[in-house]
This record gives sequence, structure tokens and C-alpha cells, in this order.
Amino acid sequence: MKYVLLAVTALVTLAAAVLLGPADVPLGDIVASPIVWQLRLPRAVLAFLVGGALGVSGVGLQALVRNPLADPFLLGLSGGAGLGAVAAIALNLPGPWALPLAAFVGAVGAMALVYRLGLIGGAELDPRVLLLAGVAVGAFAAAVTTALVSLAEATELRNAFLWLWGGFSGASWTTVLVFVVYAPLPLVVLAAAARPLDLLALGEEPARYLGADVRTLKRLVYLAASLLTAAAVAVAGVIGFVGLIVPHLCRLVWGRLHRTLFPTAFLAGGILLAAADTLARTVVAPRELPVGIVTALLGVPVFAFLLRRWTVS
Amino acid sequence: MRRWAHRTHLVGLLTLAVAACAEKERPASKGGIAVTDDAGRRVTLAAPAQRIVSLLPSFTELLFAIGAGDRLVGRTAWCDYPPEALAVPSVGDGMPPNVEAVAARRPDLVVLYHSGQNVPAAEQFERLGIRTVLLDLNLLEDLGPAARRLGVLTARRPAADSLARVMDSVASQPPAPSTRSLAFIVWDNPPIVIGAGSYLDRLATLAGARNVFHDISSPSAQVAIETIAARDPEFVAVLSDSTGAPRYAARPEWQVVRAVQRRRFLFLPGQLFGRPGPRVAEAVRELRRRLGTAP
Amino acid sequence: MDRELILAVSGITCRYPGARRDILLDVSLEVRAGEFHAVLGPNGSGKTTLVRAALGLVQPIKGQANILGRPASAWGRRDLARVVGVLPQREDNLFPQRVRETVLLGRYPHLSLFGGVRVADRAAVERALVACDAADLADRWLWTLSGGEYQRVRLARALAQEPKLLVLDEPTTSLDLRHDMELFELVRGLVDAHGLGAILITHHVNLAARFADRVLLLAGGRAAAGGAPAQVLTREVVERVFAWPVAITRFDGRPQMTPLRKKEDHP
Repeated sequence: MKYVLLAVTALVTLAAAVLLGPADVPLGDIVASPIVWQLRLPRAVLAFLVGGALGVSGVGLQALVRNPLADPFLLGLSGGAGLGAVAAIALNLPGPWALPLAAFVGAVGAMALVYRLGLIGGAELDPRVLLLAGVAVGAFAAAVTTALVSLAEATELRNAFLWLWGGFSGASWTTVLVFVVYAPLPLVVLAAAARPLDLLALGEEPARYLGADVRTLKRLVYLAASLLTAAAVAVAGVIGFVGLIVPHLCRLVWGRLHRTLFPTAFLAGGILLAAADTLARTVVAPRELPVGIVTALLGVPVFAFLLRRWTVS
Repeated sequence: MRRWAHRTHLVGLLTLAVAACAEKERPASKGGIAVTDDAGRRVTLAAPAQRIVSLLPSFTELLFAIGAGDRLVGRTAWCDYPPEALAVPSVGDGMPPNVEAVAARRPDLVVLYHSGQNVPAAEQFERLGIRTVLLDLNLLEDLGPAARRLGVLTARRPAADSLARVMDSVASQPPAPSTRSLAFIVWDNPPIVIGAGSYLDRLATLAGARNVFHDISSPSAQVAIETIAARDPEFVAVLSDSTGAPRYAARPEWQVVRAVQRRRFLFLPGQLFGRPGPRVAEAVRELRRRLGTAP
Repeated sequence: MDRELILAVSGITCRYPGARRDILLDVSLEVRAGEFHAVLGPNGSGKTTLVRAALGLVQPIKGQANILGRPASAWGRRDLARVVGVLPQREDNLFPQRVRETVLLGRYPHLSLFGGVRVADRAAVERALVACDAADLADRWLWTLSGGEYQRVRLARALAQEPKLLVLDEPTTSLDLRHDMELFELVRGLVDAHGLGAILITHHVNLAARFADRVLLLAGGRAAAGGAPAQVLTREVVERVFAWPVAITRFDGRPQMTPLRKKEDHP
């Protein structure tokens, strides 16, 4: 069945991520190698978790704004994270966690601002205003970031931009732990919103008549999806393709019911990102590609293939 | 008789006038100077440069080293060596050049680093009637030619040529047998290392150290931590003026790199090591010393 | 025998924020089990707003709306969805779905937060499909249905909620004659067979007169007339409300309205 295939693919992808890499680790040494245990394994796990988070967040967001072309980064989160990161470097904040923490704070700040703007029409979130506000806040943050970069020490900030383009170099068991502790709450909130989101697809008024508390639903889904995305950006920079394409892929194969979509999007997103990271590490070894490029190169042909198959049937 | 004299006089004047107009196309005439810069442009001056703006710290050093430092009227904010350079007014960080600030110094020559960004800036200066020269300075081999041409432009040829000879000899030194290995890590997230196409790599080779990323031909490249760990350099070289361990040294995932775990860092001050300059021999000696005396 | 009072709207006045005038003024409506109410009126007379206010979506500035004795504002949306099944005027369909899936959405008010779909739920879906004469459509994709079939499926979804009251907001716009009749017959049948209450907002004055037990005629937000069709649909009232000359005839004991041409016909 399709689910079994998905689970098996997930395991295979994780195994490949652990076995493959630019450093040559002989099979016999795998179990003892610190490269595998301290670098590859946490990196594979983190890539999977982040991919899953982005997939789920994309599903939630596309349902919230009732637009299948929405991407979690459309809501200004990447701009906010970039601004936070650049500010941390410009202010020379100490500690190895300064950068991810600042990026997270920046993303959450952007989220709060967009939320506030989304309420501007009244007491309820208007998804159309949300999208516009997201684009505006993102552009604003990007402008401030560019100003900071042009006024301050150029080299370090230029390298900060490299970080923002996405990558899992900073993966460690600590990062994985932080993510594992943090992610379940937004994930559970989204899972609970699965049925009401099915109703929301009919429109806000019909959803209300079918028993959905639309006002609370919109707020919770927005917050949960944004918090997941903020955490993803904080540990891995901006990886923009996963949240847009994974929901479509899953909808093509499993249909539109969110109770199935959320778990499958999690697995599919994890697979896509873990595979992309493995390729990013191995394809041009000893050099490394930014992950965001690989996700785009992988995702588009897969999507085109699936689209063709299912529109023909 | 008089009329003939007048006519000759007039013709003579006309000839001089024509000669003066055609000066640009003629090769260096007496008192005039010309060099070809690295953008392929022919740079000519009527007289040796007296008011120079330098838009790269290495050029500032070179100018001082050939004895033309007293003619500097403008430098970038980064030009901090020699100490006398600090007395010269700053015209901004030079990336991109602040045309107005430079023009306000009324220079007769602006020395620019040959990059894509600086070519339009050079054209802007030329439109204002300010002569510019664009010089490469990426590799050790670029130092000698740069010094020589600056010597021509400032009429300090003897000093410049002798400096150039020293730098050329360093450049043509055979690599010392490598007894130590290192990696230059300039950024941690994502990890960026220095490869064979760069000045630092060359310094390492001359100092008897093997850059474990010498197989990467570009000046810098992004790599995975596991690659660094697998290549196991004895030292991690960091361009830093302070001697505190870099921020990433405390992170758990970096401990897989033995040199990081054992805190075997080489802290190389940016002023001496960060850019090609006349003190290259000193830089090589210093690096050799640190490699030799490091535990 | 006193039938159960499902909906009691008394004297509600509503105004949308920023509007210049009230969209509804002092309107009352009582719907009991087994009663088929039609709400008629020109465009903009407040028909949809009446439904929204009755079901707690819009707060009236005056008056009260009670469902099964409790104020509409006191009902949770899930609980209310188990009592009232609504077919709103506008609905989106962003993603393709099958008929059975759509009708299953009507069971959502009965499903627990993380619980699965039970046998009883699927049985309710089947019953709803049968009652709406849509059982043969169950596996079809929604986009392949005709207008009339689509409305029957929506009605089945509302029935799957197992409500006491059905509310249909202009379900027959853009339908043809046959589907108009079928839908009205269907609603009438459900009211008679299952004792449901029904409110149907429509422009079909004549069909409303034929099938409904009671008619509420709205004009400019006020109730122009309310009661049995014969009482409400008189020439004076209809001409005043619709601002058009009509002739009233009788068919099957019910008044039928025929609009007149202004130049030639004489009353």
C-alpha cells in the first residue's frame, strides 16, 4: 500500500544519509565512527524533522489562506529570520547559539507583526490580508537587512547570507533535541485542526455552519504553522521549496483530507529534505551545495511526473 | 624676412598645439609616464603622481614601502598599515568607492583593485578628469608587477623595482617540504574553507604547511564538517586579531574535528596575513615560526 | 399536539458595521418541527442576514434569536451543527473531492477530535444519500455533477448532520425546471417524513406558495407579511413589495403569481 511504501522510503533515505557522505567511512567502521554518530546521524535526523515540519506547515498554511500556491515563507518569516541573524552578527552577540536564537526571534517577531496586520480589518484574521502583510513585512525586513549589511563589516555579513540560503552544517544532537522538544506542540495543534481545515476549504461561512470555530481555527493554524517554520529557519536557514510542493505531492497521491495529509506530508517532507541534504553533501564533494538548490532541483521533476500521471487518470 | 619669421613662428606654434592635442595617442613623451593596467587600459600621466588616493590596504602598504607614502591624500577605512597611513584622511570603505569623497581630495591618481565592481567606478573618475589605475592583487605573483607599475607612476622606480625583486623571489621560491597540515576556516555556518586559488594557500605552502583543501582549485569553497574531520588537519588557521577560540569551537558538532577539539588554532592577524602585501616574506616567516613553535 | 419549537427569532434588528441603514428591522420568525417555511423578497431585503442572525453568525443590535430555547450566541458551533443543517448561498470547492467525502463532512460535528469515522457515521451518510435520491452518485467526483445533482449532494450533507432544522439559502438559482421541482419535493418530503423543520430562501414565489406551510415576505429589511401562503401572497402585498403589477390565481388551492406586462394587460 502507499503508506507502506512511504515508510520504507523514509527508512531507506535515512539509511542513505548515514552511509553516504564526502568523507570515506568504510562500512565496517560505521558503528564506531564519530563522523557517523556526531555528524551524519544528527544531520540526517534534523533534515528529516525540518523537512517534515516544513511539509506540515505548508499543508496548514495552504488550507488557512485557501491558496494552494502558498509557501510557509510567504508570510515574512524568512525576512524576519534573516534580519535577526544579521543583527546578531552585526552586534557580535556571543555564544554558539546566538545565531539560531536571533533568527528564531526575528522570525517570531515577523510572525507577530503579520498577525497584528492580519487583524487590521476586524477581530478576525483575514487570510488575504495575511498574505499581503506577509509579503510587505518580508520586504521590509529584507530592506533593513540590506541596509545593515551595507553599513557594517561586509565580509561576515556576506557569509551570514550564505547561512540564510539553507543548510544543515550546524546539526548536532543538541539541535535535534531542541527541535524534538519544541516541535510536538505545534504539530499536535495542527493535527487537531485537521478536520476543521477540511471544512474551511468550503469557505468560512459554510465551515461555521458545519461546526468549525473558524476564528480560533485561523489563529491556531497560523501560529502553529509559523512557529514550526520559525524553528526550521532558525536551525537550517531558508529552504523554500519543501513547504510549497510537498502538500501538492501528497494531495495528488492521498487526496485532500487533512487527517491523511498531515502525517504523509511530514514523512514526504522529511524524505525530500534528507535526500536533498545527502545529495548536497555528496554530489560535488569535497565541496557542498546549498540545500535549497537541491530541493528545487529534486522537487520539480518529481512533481511534474506525478502531476502528469494523475491528470491523465 | 620678418614675414617669413612670423610664419615659421606661427607654424611652430601650430605644431606644438597639434602635438599637445595628440599627446594621448603618442607614447610617453619626455616628462610623461605611461603604464598598462590590469584592465588593459593605458594609463598616462603628464608628471609623476603627487596626490594619490589608494582604495586598497595592500596598495597603501606598497606605496609607503616604495617611499611614496607622503603623497597619499586619501585611503580606505581599512588601510591600517603602516601606522603613518592612519594620518591620511579616509575616503570611506571603498566597497564601492565613494566617488565624491575621493574627488574631494583632488587626486591626480586613484589606485583601485581590479574587480568588476571597480571598473565602472574607474570610468566615473575618468569622466571627472581623474586618472585611475586598476591593478590585480589576488595572488603572490601579482605583487611584483603591482609594485613596479606604482614605481613608474610615482617616479620611484629604483625603490619599487628592488621591492618587486624581493617579492618575486618569494613567489618563485620552491615550496618548503611540508611538515604540518592545516585548514583555513573563514566561516562556520556553513563551513567555508580556503582552497588552492588563494594567497593564504600559497603562504601555507611557502611556510612548509600543507593546506588539506589544496585540491579545491577555487579560492574558497563551502564544505561539510565531516570533510574537514576526515581530512584531519593538525591546525585550524583562523584570520583573527584576537586569540580567543572562535565561536564555533564550543559547538558539539565541531568536536569531531580533532584540531578544534584540541583547540589547535593558529590565530593569524588580518593585517599581516589577510591580504597580499610587501611584508609577504615576514608573513611566511611568522607562519613558519608559529607552526614550528606550536605544541 | 404542540410541535417542538426549534427556532424562535423575535424582533431582531441588524446592521452591518459601517452600513448606513439597518439590514433587518424588527423581524420575527418561529419555526416548529414539521413546518416548511419559505423566505421571499427582493434582492437586498435581508434574507441571508436573517439566517445568519438566527444562527448566531451575526449579532443583532436588538431582539433575540433562540434555538431549542437557548440563545443562539450561547450555542457552541459544533453543538449547533448537530441541530441545524445549512446550505449557504456561496460555497467554494478548492480541491477535488468525491460525493461520499463531501457528505461525510456533514458528520464532522459528530466526530470526536482525534477519533475515527465509525460505522454509525457511514450509515448516516448512506441514509442521507438515499433520502436525497443521490445514492447512485456516491462515487462520482463533485466537478462532474450537474447543478441539480450538486444541490442534492449538498442537501445530503446537511442531512448527514442529523439536524432538526434544514436551512437552504437560494438552492435553486441557476437550476432548470425539473431540478427546481425535484428539490422542493425533496424538502417537502423530508419535512413530512422525518418531522424536520425547514427554512428555504428563494426567488421562486410560486414554488414557495405551492410547497411551503408558511411564507415570510421581506422588503427593505422589514417583514412585509408572514403567514400561510394564501394570506401573504395577495395582489396588494406582492405588488407593493416587488413594485410590479401582478395577477394572483389559484392552483391546487395555493396562490400563484403571474407578473403582468405594463403596456397591454389590464387587471
